[in-house]
Amino acid sequence: MLRTMTLNKAIGYAVLAMICIASLLPIWMAFKTAITFPSDVFASADRLWLDRLTFGNFPRVLGLPSSVEPPANSGQPINFMIALRNSVIYTGLLVTGQLFFSSLAAYAFARLRFPGRDTLFYMIIAATMIPSIVLFIPNFVLVRQLGLLNTFAGMVAPSILMLPFAVFFLRQFFLTTPKELEEAARLDGLNWFQVYWHIALPLQRGPMATLAILLSIQAWNDFFWPFLVGQGESVQVMAVALANFQSQAGQGQPDWTGLMAAVMLSIIPVLFLLIFFGRRIVESLQTSGMK
Amino acid sequence: MSGRADSSPRNAKTPTRRSALRRKEAVVGYLFILPALIGLVLFYVLPTIRAAQISMTNWNLMRPAKWVALENYTKLWGDGQFWDSMWITLLYVLYNIPVQTALGLLIAVLADRLAKSVTFRAVIIAPYLISNVVAGLVWLLMLDPLIGITNSFLSMIGIGQQAFLSSPDQALVSVAAISIWRHVGFTALLFYAGLQSIPKDLYEAARLDGASEFAMFRLITMPLLRPVLVFVLVTSVVGSFQVFDVIAVTTQGGPAGSTRAVLWYIYENAFKFSRMGYASAMSMVLFVILILVTLLQMKLLRGDQSDLG
Amino acid sequence: MKLTMLALLTGTALVPVAASAQDTVQYWMWDGQQAPVYQQCAAAFEAVNPDIRIEITQNGWDQYWTALTTAMISGDAPDVFVNHVTRLPEMSANQVITDLAPLIAEASYDTSGYLPGLLDNWSRDGAVYGLPKDWATVALGVDTEKLQAAGLSMEDLADLSWNPEDGGSFQQVIARLTVDSNGVHGDQDGFDGNSVETFGLVINPLSPGGETEWSYLAASTGWQFIDAPWATEYRFDDPRLAATLGWLRDLGRKHHFMPMQEQTGKLGAETLMFSDKGAMTVVGSWLIGQYNQTKPSIAFAPVPAGPKGRKSMFNGLADSIWTGSDVPDASWKWVQFLGSDECQSIVAEAGVVFPAQADQVDKTVAAYEARGIDVSAFTAVATPETTFAFPITDYGNEIDAIIRAAFDRVMLGDGDPAEILQQANDEVNSLF
Repeated sequence: MLRTMTLNKAIGYAVLAMICIASLLPIWMAFKTAITFPSDVFASADRLWLDRLTFGNFPRVLGLPSSVEPPANSGQPINFMIALRNSVIYTGLLVTGQLFFSSLAAYAFARLRFPGRDTLFYMIIAATMIPSIVLFIPNFVLVRQLGLLNTFAGMVAPSILMLPFAVFFLRQFFLTTPKELEEAARLDGLNWFQVYWHIALPLQRGPMATLAILLSIQAWNDFFWPFLVGQGESVQVMAVALANFQSQAGQGQPDWTGLMAAVMLSIIPVLFLLIFFGRRIVESLQTSGMK
Repeated sequence: MSGRADSSPRNAKTPTRRSALRRKEAVVGYLFILPALIGLVLFYVLPTIRAAQISMTNWNLMRPAKWVALENYTKLWGDGQFWDSMWITLLYVLYNIPVQTALGLLIAVLADRLAKSVTFRAVIIAPYLISNVVAGLVWLLMLDPLIGITNSFLSMIGIGQQAFLSSPDQALVSVAAISIWRHVGFTALLFYAGLQSIPKDLYEAARLDGASEFAMFRLITMPLLRPVLVFVLVTSVVGSFQVFDVIAVTTQGGPAGSTRAVLWYIYENAFKFSRMGYASAMSMVLFVILILVTLLQMKLLRGDQSDLG
Repeated sequence: MKLTMLALLTGTALVPVAASAQDTVQYWMWDGQQAPVYQQCAAAFEAVNPDIRIEITQNGWDQYWTALTTAMISGDAPDVFVNHVTRLPEMSANQVITDLAPLIAEASYDTSGYLPGLLDNWSRDGAVYGLPKDWATVALGVDTEKLQAAGLSMEDLADLSWNPEDGGSFQQVIARLTVDSNGVHGDQDGFDGNSVETFGLVINPLSPGGETEWSYLAASTGWQFIDAPWATEYRFDDPRLAATLGWLRDLGRKHHFMPMQEQTGKLGAETLMFSDKGAMTVVGSWLIGQYNQTKPSIAFAPVPAGPKGRKSMFNGLADSIWTGSDVPDASWKWVQFLGSDECQSIVAEAGVVFPAQADQVDKTVAAYEARGIDVSAFTAVATPETTFAFPITDYGNEIDAIIRAAFDRVMLGDGDPAEILQQANDEVNSLF
């Protein structure tokens, strides 16, 4: 009995280790490319390690003095600090709004009764099924008519109020939790909003934290819409700056080492958020509500 | 786990009082969903209606459109390339979804049992930190037939040079593999959140009864995870049918049209051939197909039983 | 300092501005290397025209056209933008770009300075839809270290011949440059085609225009895409084209002197050159700088001469004005300036591309020479006799999709080239 347990465990850990390697290997390759001299990039593409390495690509994509000459196919340096600021504002604004509005709607769909509830919910799920190719032109025209081009408001508008994914996800979790607590709170005279805010939401700490992290990563990588609406330097997010750096001409290679250096720099903030905030979110949710 | 959303207060004494409460509940419900409803109408419903209109015109994105009624739809019916692209998409979904879901579930269960650390979850989600475009580029470099590292590894274990994205036979599988690599952590985290909300005392009770790991998984985990499983399958199938980014970066529909998935074909028509009317008609058809697929899934997964209070 | 803060807070400018409102001209381009060069042009222009401000936006090629289309639909497009010849048919047919011919006449703008043929590429039925900015030709790019190792020199490449039957001296050089893992060259006995270390020739997967892969060969047999600009019939079914592509296919699939289609990744020929997998390739002049900087041992030789002589595609970008521009006069001024000697000489001295004005080309050549690059292989073929144009017709993008798939099949050895091309050509011609 004990023996099989440890054997099972050993197999489990081996599988986990393999999955970790598979996850990280391409990211390692990206990092390795970032510390490669531009002239070595293809010669060393089939190796895990380098004969010679440099950290000069990082300052050079930021337009700082660097020991590495930018290759001829390199784009203009990325204005990293501004792009970083814009990405933080965009992501923060969007995810906060999405979590609040989507959880409100999800709670209503799971717990409240009103005519047309299920029809509306199915419409929200159906909204994920329309190819975005036909959505973005009318949305762009609308945002322009509202005078929101080159503003954060215009960039977050289409998905801040309603993200089908988030509504659907949270509704499933609200449904799976027993509702005795909420009913008791209603009997104690709490109104619906108080029940949602103080009772139901704190019970969904884990799912909310997961959702917050996934939505943040998604928002951080959002590209096409922010690119269309926010081209001005003052609102240009990291993903857009990266894309412009990457595709410089109709033909020819991107500046691989510079691009990967920029990518590595751009995921550091998200990693920080994951490891640091991931814990903080869970903790703060644990202490909020339940009063 | 039938989360029946029936929440009539127990203290409702009289019918009139009850109906007054009901009305109030309905008003509160609408207030709760109001922001989402505004978003839905402004940014989804209206553009969809607009797209339906455009699908009945010959709009080419530059000139004022002319009404052509159902011409685009009749053309579409006879467009072998469209149905071909639907078939390619279906194949892609069949490569992508089972592997991604099973692997995601496996990772989530293992993490729940063996590795609850934040660091492990960060490692698992790491591929998702990289955007689709960059993921495509990194894999282009790794899968290159002549200079990529993948073939170096394969030759070490005695497997000959593979063409991957350059071969009509392997390109679609390769694109699916790249997608799986990027999304499996995402799926795993969703499942993990679901596993966390299963009461642990159920497992302890089962273990006292001498149930095996597998029996517990079958009898406790799977049934209680079903709402999350329904959610993951529905959203990932819909997403998978709309595969675009990775194809745009790696194969552009090639080689020899072997990765021309439906959304790529729609994009080609809209922005390369400037046939927005036709592209809108195809989008509408895809929309209807996806609704049918989702309804079918709900039926098969009995998703509606636990979903409809 | 305090003043600046105050100005920032109140949104007022510290510098007194002229009472007349400035016209802002939005200018879009996709080439990041050239953006700084044109920034200099803009500065020079603004110095002469203080009432006009130029705002340059650079978007990568991948998003450029989608963004442009969306901007045009919503009435928000740039006043002036860099245009590509593949987009001309559609844009001119739908009148989203301004016909410059009347403006050229009115301003007595001198177009005689352009290299012959460049302006014609941008004209249709007497209308002119863009002023040429630059031009490009192709040449062989050879790794001189590998050339010496094969016992050859640049002189041996100065006058190569080619024909679709046996490949001429071009094929002999390619064979010589190919080396297998035992160090055996492609023209020696015992050469093992299944373990090639260095390929004699590397090319990109065939594109429908074939600028750097096949069109210089096909054209040297006398073959043409179309009989005249704006034709309604293509000639992809010509046996000379089938022979050319068959030769290219065999070079890879039969002789192993070139990677097969499925060995050529999406990373392109230059990747193989930089990673020592290729000894020779065909280079478009827009990549001269990149090649030289990444691998200084690469030098340039003229493309081989076929039965009908030496041929190169001759292609160039132009600046177009959006018909919806609300500052058409300022836009026209800017476009004229972009084509003028003043801006063209800035472009020339940067040594990034060959400028459209003939008398500025020498400056570019000198700029390259100063960096130790001999570009005569590119300039030598830039004559009316030795060049042919990119085929400009309607339905360019649909044709692109059809032909690309057909070429993939040819190069994958998936059938007889003549049959595949015949079928594709019928499909192309049925569009018209």
